[in-house]
Amino acid sequence: MKGFTLWFTGLSGSGKSTLAHRIEEILLERGMKVEVLDGDVVRQNLSKGLGFSKEDRDINIRRIGWVCHILTRNQVVAIAAAISPYKAVRDENRRLIGRFVEVYCKASIDALKKRDPKGLYEKALRGELKNFTGVDDPYEPPEHPEIVVETDKESIDESVNKIIRTLELMGYIPAGESSEDYSAEEEEKIKKRLKDLGYI
Amino acid sequence: MLWLKKGKKRIFALGLDGVPFTLVKKFCADGTWKFIDRLARSGALRQMEVTLPEISAVSWPSFMTGKNPGEHGIYGFTDFKPQSYELHYTNFQDLKTETFWEKLGQKKKLCVVLNQPGTYPARPIPGILVSGFVAIEIAKAVQPLRYLAPLRRMNYQIDIDTHRCRSDHNQMFRELEHTLKVRQAAVEFFWDEIDWDFFEVVKTGTDRLQHYLFDAVEDESHPRHLQTVSYYQKVEDFIRSCWELFFKGRSADQEGEGFFMLSDHGFCLTRREFYLNAWLQKNRYLEFEKNPPEEIKDMKKNSRAFALDPSRIYLHRKSRFPHGFLNDSQAGQLREELKQKLLAIEWEGEKILQAVYFPEEIYSGPEIQRAPDLILLSRHGFDLKASVNKTELFGNSDLKGMHTFDDAFFWARESDREKLHITHLAEIFLKQLS
Repeated sequence: MKGFTLWFTGLSGSGKSTLAHRIEEILLERGMKVEVLDGDVVRQNLSKGLGFSKEDRDINIRRIGWVCHILTRNQVVAIAAAISPYKAVRDENRRLIGRFVEVYCKASIDALKKRDPKGLYEKALRGELKNFTGVDDPYEPPEHPEIVVETDKESIDESVNKIIRTLELMGYIPAGESSEDYSAEEEEKIKKRLKDLGYI
Repeated sequence: MLWLKKGKKRIFALGLDGVPFTLVKKFCADGTWKFIDRLARSGALRQMEVTLPEISAVSWPSFMTGKNPGEHGIYGFTDFKPQSYELHYTNFQDLKTETFWEKLGQKKKLCVVLNQPGTYPARPIPGILVSGFVAIEIAKAVQPLRYLAPLRRMNYQIDIDTHRCRSDHNQMFRELEHTLKVRQAAVEFFWDEIDWDFFEVVKTGTDRLQHYLFDAVEDESHPRHLQTVSYYQKVEDFIRSCWELFFKGRSADQEGEGFFMLSDHGFCLTRREFYLNAWLQKNRYLEFEKNPPEEIKDMKKNSRAFALDPSRIYLHRKSRFPHGFLNDSQAGQLREELKQKLLAIEWEGEKILQAVYFPEEIYSGPEIQRAPDLILLSRHGFDLKASVNKTELFGNSDLKGMHTFDDAFFWARESDREKLHITHLAEIFLKQLS
C-alpha cells in the first residue's frame, strides 16, 4: 500500500489524539505501517523551544508536515494530530504531501470548556494561559476537509467508523474483514435493478 | 417460541413504499380501502414531506435516523467516492448516524425490522433485521443469521424481479402477490420470536407497481386498472391482519395506540422525463471526451457541472474532484447562474422546476460537505434524470410514475403535529417508548 497523511485539526480537547490513536490501532491491525505525530509530543522534541506566536505555530506545523511528507513518501501512514489553527499552513502541507486527508474535529467551544480534560480552558479563561486557541488566539476551520467529525455530538466509535469508511472509499486502506462492501457481481445486480426502476 | 409479555408498551409501524397521501384519500373516498377509511376517520391521517432527493435511498435513512442527509450522509443510490469520479453504490455501512433501533437498544429495547430498504448488507441491530431493497443475497440480508434457514423455508423473496416485471406485467402481479404472502408469513413467524418493543414491516411492491403502472392506478378506463385496485385491496388485507395481530386480546380503548403507518415519498404520473446532463451539455457546462459517453468520468476536464440521478448537480470544484476546474469563487458564481437558468426551463410554456436549492438551504450537519451543489425539485409530472447518453432534453419511457416529496402519508391514532416531516418519526417512536 502507498502511504498517505491523515491530518487531524481542531481545537484543544476536540478529540484529535484520541481518534488518531484509535485509527492507528485499526491500521496496524490491517498490516499497515503507521506513525502518529501528536502535537503535544512533537513540542517536547522536534519543536522544543517553540512558543505559541503565529510564527512559531506555523514553524511547528511545517515541521510536522515535512515529517509526514517523508513518511508518506516511504509507504507509511502518517497521522498528525495538532491544533494546526491556520488554514494557509495546512494547505501548504496538503500541497507538499499530495496524498493528504484532512479530518476536522469539530466541537463547540462550550462543549470543550465543559470537557476540558487538561484544565486548559479554565486557565486560559482566567488569563493564566496566553495565546490559547479558541480563547484569545484564532482558529481557522478548514473549508473543504475530506472528513468532518462532530466530536461533541458523535460517539468515538461513530467518528472512527466515519474516518475508516472514507479511507476505504478513497482506496487508501484495504477493506477490513468485517467490511460489507458489495462484490463486483453484486454491484452489477444492484446497478441493473436500479436501472429497471429508473433510479439511475 | 416466546410469549409476548402482556401490558408492555409496543409500537407497530407499517411502511408502504411510495404510497401517496392523495392516493390514500382517494381509496378511502371511493371505497377501495374501507378499513383504512375507518382508521383515517378515527385517527390522524397526515400528508408528510420527505428529505430531498425524494427517493427511497435517502428517505428511509432519514426515517430510520430522524436526521437529514447532511447528518446521515446518504444523498442517493449512488455517490462519488471521495476525491474521485468513480461512483459508489451507497449501502447501510455509509449511514453516518445511529438508527432509532440502535437508540432503543441502548434502553434495552428490542426491534423486529422486516424488509427495510436501505439496510443492506444487514448488520446486527438490537433484535432482528431483514433488509429490503436493494438487498440481493438473502444470506447478507438477515441478522441474526440463525433466521436465514426459516426464511429460506418460507420461500422468502426480498423483491420482485424488476427486470422481468418491467416488461411483463402479468409476471409483476404474480410476484407482487407472492411477496405480499411471504411478508405476511414473515410477520407471523417473527411475531413472537423475541419480546420486541418495536415491530416494523415495509411493503415495497406498491412502489414497483406505481413505477410501471401508475397510469393504470389513476385511470379507471385503463385495461389494468381493476387489477391494480385488487392489489391495493390485498395490501389493505395485509394491513388489517397486522392490526388484528397487534390488538389481539387488547381492550377497545387501546385500539390504534402504538400503531403507525407511513410512506417514504409520494407518487404522481410522469408527464415528461427531463435529462439534466443533456441540458448541461447543450448549455456548454459539460462536455464528454467520447461519444456516446458511458459515465460521468468520461467528461472533459474543463467541464464545469454534471448531474447524478435523480436531481443532483455537482460543480467541478478543484477542492472536490481530482481534475477540478473551478475555484470556490467561480463555483459560487456558477451555482447562482445555473439556478436562474434551471428555474427558467419550460415545457410547452410551463416551468418544470419548483425550486433549486443550495445545500445549506435544506441540509445541515457534518456531511453537508459531501452534498450536491444544487438540488432540484421538479413540478409534479416532470421526472429529472441524469443519464449521460441522452441527447434530447425531454423524453418519455415505459416508466409511468415518478416520486413526489410533498405527498407521503403518515397515520397514527393521534398526532399533535399538523405538518409532518419524515425526520420527525424517529423522535415520535422514541418518545412513545421512553
